[in-house]
Amino acid sequence: MILAFIMLGALAIVGGIITIAARNAVHAALGLVGTLLSVAGLFATLNASFLAATQVIVYAGAVMVLFLFVIMLLNANQPVTGRDPVPFVRELAGIGGTLLAGAFVVLAFTFKDPRPLAESAAALKNGTALVMGETLLTRFLLPFEAVSILLLVAIVGAVALVQRPAPQPDGVPDELEAPVGSAREERSGAPRGAAPALSLTRDPEVSA
Amino acid sequence: MVPTSSYVALSGILFALGMIGVLTRRTAIMVFLSVELMLNAANLALVAFARSWGDPTGQTAVFIVMTLAAAEVAIGLAIIVAIFRKRETTNVDDLAALKG
Repeated sequence: MILAFIMLGALAIVGGIITIAARNAVHAALGLVGTLLSVAGLFATLNASFLAATQVIVYAGAVMVLFLFVIMLLNANQPVTGRDPVPFVRELAGIGGTLLAGAFVVLAFTFKDPRPLAESAAALKNGTALVMGETLLTRFLLPFEAVSILLLVAIVGAVALVQRPAPQPDGVPDELEAPVGSAREERSGAPRGAAPALSLTRDPEVSA
Repeated sequence: MVPTSSYVALSGILFALGMIGVLTRRTAIMVFLSVELMLNAANLALVAFARSWGDPTGQTAVFIVMTLAAAEVAIGLAIIVAIFRKRETTNVDDLAALKG
């Protein structure tokens, strides 16, 4: 058990470092998949078998597929370089993160288990779907229903956000439409006839 | 059995890694990936405490957090796609102003 914890924990930390340090966004996302799978393994060692399965299916599966899809859709796998908005932001973040991690580790080891671990782990009945469902549909009934509404709102919102505005067949002749179109182009700064923003072949050098 | 403290310490390290990522990365998608890392660190601590008390409430809370994170990712990535269509960038420094 201790060996499993050390191996999974090291894997999770390595995946986290890849996530925040990789220059390529696809590599970062794959590093996060490694972390998520290790955390799923850690859930399994913590008597939470249902959560381990959910973590693999929902997080490492569905959510990360969504991430990879958007990264590739936006051609965002290249690193963004340029002047740092805050001087020494990397150094400051590194020092702050190290201090925060140190504080967490020190605080964590002040925690004493309230009762023997074997006893409380047995009370969890291995965290099966039966145990989870009983809690979810009794003590957590209101959050459960609220979350279902939230998911519906998220689906509708995501669809509404990414849909393209429908062309308006208003019957206005082209001579009248042209000045409006050119004014809009001046505002957005895009030349007329430029490739649409989401064209996958927008910049062949970047996508190559 | 591995004591709860070890799990909570690992969770703290993962959370700090996610915080460094949020502070240093420039692409909105990378900031999102780091936020996911922080959420998972919090989930790990919750499950560790659930075992410590022998109460499945913490595990159920993790289930709710996972659902919230999925909804957040769906909306957040849709916002990023919408912004990218308008501004052709996802660099958070260029997106500092609210006015579209």
